[in-house]
Amino acid sequence: MSILSMENIRKDYGSVQALKGVSFNVPKGTVFGILGPNGSGKTTMLGIIMDILKPSSGTYKLFDEVPNETHRRQIGTFLETPNFYHYLSAERNLKIAAAIKERGEGDIPRVLELVNLTQRKDSRFSTYSLGMKQRLAIASCLLGNPEVLILDEPTNGLDPVGIAEIRALIKKLHLEGKTIIMASHLLDEVEKVCTHVAILKKGELVATGDVNEILATEDIVEIGASNISALKAAVQQLGGFSHFNEQGNLLQLFYPVGKAPLETINQHCFNKGIVLNKLNLKKKSLESKFMELTN
Amino acid sequence: MLKLLKIEWMKIKNYNAFIILSSFFALGVITVNYIVFIVNKNMISQTQAANLMGKFSPYNFDKTWQTTSYAAGWLLLLPALLLIILLTNEFTYRTHRQNIIDGWSREQFIHIKIVLAVLTAVFSTVLVFITALTFGLSSGSSFSTEGISHIGYFFLKALSYNMIALLIGVLIRRTGFAIGVFFIYMGFENFISQLLDVWSIRLRSRQNIDLGSMGDYLPMNSADGMLTFPDNPLKGLAKGVMPTDYYWVVLGLTVAYLILFYWWSVNRVVKTDL
Repeated sequence: MSILSMENIRKDYGSVQALKGVSFNVPKGTVFGILGPNGSGKTTMLGIIMDILKPSSGTYKLFDEVPNETHRRQIGTFLETPNFYHYLSAERNLKIAAAIKERGEGDIPRVLELVNLTQRKDSRFSTYSLGMKQRLAIASCLLGNPEVLILDEPTNGLDPVGIAEIRALIKKLHLEGKTIIMASHLLDEVEKVCTHVAILKKGELVATGDVNEILATEDIVEIGASNISALKAAVQQLGGFSHFNEQGNLLQLFYPVGKAPLETINQHCFNKGIVLNKLNLKKKSLESKFMELTN
Repeated sequence: MLKLLKIEWMKIKNYNAFIILSSFFALGVITVNYIVFIVNKNMISQTQAANLMGKFSPYNFDKTWQTTSYAAGWLLLLPALLLIILLTNEFTYRTHRQNIIDGWSREQFIHIKIVLAVLTAVFSTVLVFITALTFGLSSGSSFSTEGISHIGYFFLKALSYNMIALLIGVLIRRTGFAIGVFFIYMGFENFISQLLDVWSIRLRSRQNIDLGSMGDYLPMNSADGMLTFPDNPLKGLAKGVMPTDYYWVVLGLTVAYLILFYWWSVNRVVKTDL
């Protein structure tokens, strides 16, 4: 079963196209990351799924059905900013959320404890720090232990301990079989937490699929010699790498992680009468992968 | 519906502005009428003119319904302001989005606010009814339901103000700005309404064309137009030059405007980005 399926969703704001026909599926039981730089359309997309925004064209389904408010009640959603009544306490705010979700108030102490807000439950929302507001929003999502969670930049504004706690919580929920859809501009976060990923760039879907395939990184071997064209000829006979690049008077050979045979390369070139003046193994950084995917 | 209303009550019962504005309104209705009552009893009825007019007191039965409704009508700004604040707060805190994310439909979100507007009008009307009854009984005249239709006009006026407030809130979204627009609109409409009234009188006296008091055909003034201070016998003299009251036209327009405001508010919330 698909938790969410999107079919050619477009959203225009005047002449600005925020989403240019996005389609993908979120299978049940996955942690599905929506990755993209700021302004790539992540929040717009989640807003459409939650009926906050109207798509210019296209359709989507929740739980394989035409979506309505009863589907939204089964999903714990935190979109963009923590939205609560400023003049009410955390607990009163959660009572309102629980009533709208038709979940009953019994679960409120549990979710407050999960995000460490039990002691401050009677304080007004307006007195909360940014991190506490964020945690209250996550607590509200968890009300009634829903099978599906949608989290938009859930670790935004949290301190390192808070970030680690939220990531651990997401992993735990995944192990319990829940489906989690998470938007993030942090590649490293998506890589650590998600099983699947969709990459958005300026409103277009660049890639979607298993996180290990899409975000697979490579080792790069940089070699140099005084006669670069002879080196190139020698390397072409060598094989074993996925592809290579010429960069100035260096060649870059790309290998799957941990598979670069440095000694073999050196020996091979030497046998061909080429003495290397540079042999260097580089790990490709996640940042450069992100730039490559979104530029 | 009751479930939604309970949630709406959870939102407002601890909100200071709600408590303050509602108490001001309740106290205001009683105080304003008490002042008119005392002034009339101690000053006007002792004068020669009052003797000429007979035993005219605006709080005698059949007049008390009209007097109280008219005097309290001025205070209807308070519940309207409260509704603007309650609605625009949702936009400011973005809780309108959260309500829908958590599982309300857009229709439910706007309809429960409209129910709130109707209930506020009902409570205001009940308060005015009790006030009118109390002052009527203390004026010493015997009970009569004649003229009680003015309580109904008061309800229509309260509802009109509330629905205009909701519409402006839905369209403008920002609290301060929406309140400003509400007042500016009210001033503007009153100005146009008076121009139309003057024009109506001229048409009637110079060309003998009687289209009624056209100032009463505008949204806020149509509800207003049905509520006037009780006529005293002297006013009859003016009838020769005044345009006829097209009562049913004004009543019809009031209802038509209410339907328009309802449709516009719902449509706006249901059809556009939130």
